[in-house]
Amino acid sequence: MERIAISVAALFAAVLVGGAFVFVSGGVASCRSGLDIAGVTFCYNPMQVFYELFLGALGNPLQGGWSPTNLSLAKTLQQTTLLIFAGLSVAVAFRAGLLNIGTQGQLVIGGFVTAITVVFAEPIVPGGLVGMLVLIPLGVLAGAIGGGLYGAIPGALKAYADANEVITTIMLNFVAVGITSTLLSWQFQDNNSTTAQTAPVPEYAEVPTIPYIGFDERVDFSLLALGFAVVLMLGIAWLFARTSFGYELRTSGIQPAAAAYGGVDGKRMTVATMSLSGALGGIAGAFWVLMVHGRWLKNVPSIGFDGIAVSVLAGSNPLGVGASAFLFGMLDSGESAIGSTTNVPPDLVGILSGLIILFVAMPEFFRMIGTRYVDVRSPEPARADGGSVPDDDNEATDESGGEDGG
Amino acid sequence: MGKRFRRTREFIGRHPRAASLSAVAIALAFLWATPASWQTSTLRLAVPIALAAIGGIFAEKSGVINIGIEGLLIVSAFSSIIAVYWLGDGGATMGVSNLWWGLLVGILVSVLFALIFAIVCIEFKADQIIAGLAIWLISLGLAPFASRIVFGSPNTASVARFGSVTVPGLSEIPIVGYLLFDTEPQVYLMLAGTVAGWYLLSRTTFGRWVVASGENPKALDTAGVDVRKVRYAAVLLSGVFAGLGGAGFALGTLGTFAGGGDTAINGRGFIAIATYLLANYHPVGAVLSSFLFAGLNSLQTALQSAGYAIPTELIRTIPHMSVIVVLVLVGRTRLPDAAGDHYESGED
Repeated sequence: MERIAISVAALFAAVLVGGAFVFVSGGVASCRSGLDIAGVTFCYNPMQVFYELFLGALGNPLQGGWSPTNLSLAKTLQQTTLLIFAGLSVAVAFRAGLLNIGTQGQLVIGGFVTAITVVFAEPIVPGGLVGMLVLIPLGVLAGAIGGGLYGAIPGALKAYADANEVITTIMLNFVAVGITSTLLSWQFQDNNSTTAQTAPVPEYAEVPTIPYIGFDERVDFSLLALGFAVVLMLGIAWLFARTSFGYELRTSGIQPAAAAYGGVDGKRMTVATMSLSGALGGIAGAFWVLMVHGRWLKNVPSIGFDGIAVSVLAGSNPLGVGASAFLFGMLDSGESAIGSTTNVPPDLVGILSGLIILFVAMPEFFRMIGTRYVDVRSPEPARADGGSVPDDDNEATDESGGEDGG
Repeated sequence: MGKRFRRTREFIGRHPRAASLSAVAIALAFLWATPASWQTSTLRLAVPIALAAIGGIFAEKSGVINIGIEGLLIVSAFSSIIAVYWLGDGGATMGVSNLWWGLLVGILVSVLFALIFAIVCIEFKADQIIAGLAIWLISLGLAPFASRIVFGSPNTASVARFGSVTVPGLSEIPIVGYLLFDTEPQVYLMLAGTVAGWYLLSRTTFGRWVVASGENPKALDTAGVDVRKVRYAAVLLSGVFAGLGGAGFALGTLGTFAGGGDTAINGRGFIAIATYLLANYHPVGAVLSSFLFAGLNSLQTALQSAGYAIPTELIRTIPHMSVIVVLVLVGRTRLPDAAGDHYESGED
């Protein structure tokens, strides 16, 4: 309960600080009309910005003629789908006490493997419905394997060479871009285009929309994909709650020494967790290719980094990831809305998600405010589950050591 | 592999004089064997990494792991360029070149962010790693945001850069003269910062406090020193060093700041972290190992301009790959005992 309260409070705090920031930066920007205070013209109205950001992402439901299948909402749900995968990827690692900042790189690699696998399998597989039923699962599987193997690298480095996974995964994000761009220009560039991208996958290999219900075919969003994401989310929740693997994974995150005592091979657990996390990142890449663009583009949006925010806000709870992904899906979709209706740079969304992470990371702040008005007692600090000191597993038993000093 | 490396490092720890002598010998051999242009560009590219690493050492030694140092480099770099642009490119304000004002603004902005990070970590007991990541992600958004407001594009306009300053006499010294005494201000600042950082950490009372605050805060508290204040000072100091590095790099080497994607800092803050882990938190060692990464970086530029048919995109990631190799070699580093923990002074 407290966890949810903190997430909601963090969200409001981020919106408040973000709004104040927008207002102040409006004093620097130049514009024709704005609010004049003491000789300074403030160009941006934060209320309007957030109005556009959130309601724009839903397709302005307060205005007339709103239909649930509008383009903005489709874009929101499209981003939600991808962010569920990315958020789960980060959450799985967090729960095991590993900070996987490399979801972005795993997504880049996974999406690339998906695209080239499907393009190369195309001539062998018959077209039409059969092709669809073969190529889409094949593509998603290829993405999962690509991302999973790429995630296994920092896992193995952590397990067998004690290399801090935060730094290695961040570095591997850069390396992923280098590898894929090199392969692209070496072999896989679409020769009919000047944009850095692979050849398109056949149309029947793109994730189909359900006919008659759901969204227009032009919007690159499929309810089937969202459904798959939700099923996967429930699957991960089930994995955590009901399987011995999930139990061992969570124990490794909370109390590695106890897990080892209970017979968990910590090294294998680390590699397995990072592979699973990477595979989920790879699936995000697969759907980015098969649902959104129908090909892999060199310019990959930062879905993987947003996944960190999604997971942190959700407290690494798989079911929370769904709600959190929808929120960030709105931010991503609203990004284009504020880009077109206001002069505020759309990069604001990146700042906002950083602020949300910052506020979620400091639950003590809200407890201090909270205890002024209500008497809430929380026995343990609600830090992100991966919040143990990297490099230093043994110390994790000493996590609350600071509190002992008081 | 890691074990042998650790043994080497233990040897260095036991025989510091022998180690430094051999380091000097290796350095001289290197200087003799490599072209001057490569050396100067290495030195310049080392500026952000080395200074960020020294800053990171102070923060981490005091018990606050500052993984947001990449963010500090980013904000100081773009704010220094914007400041120079606003004050007037190529001009001077109050008799001092605007570049120096830009440097000052960069440092101040970096310190401001370090202060936010310090408050969040020390006052509100945030998880240091998550808060550091947040600082980085905020900076990643802030750089193109600010740039778009001022310049209408994610990249800033170009401003004039620092020119070389030649120290008469000293620059005539064979082998090292041209390198150390005929160079740009930010390189002098890096060298001075190295000495200052080393002196502060290992020769002053404050340095001992910083180390104690990270290793055994309770003992420091018992001795009557406020652990919180020491940690605040150390984190703010990391902001000063990182600001110097970011702004110096922007105004001395880049002259413009690309805010898109990973920005022009391109992971150098994280490389700095690997750098000081490699050097086991020794400021001089960190600067020397930053030459390793900067050298690889300038080697990449040299290879490209020499026209080798090596794919540029892959070459660009050589420094990042070498960080992974280094971390594998270093293996587990011994963090300060209380790093990552909150400390609350109690009355009991």
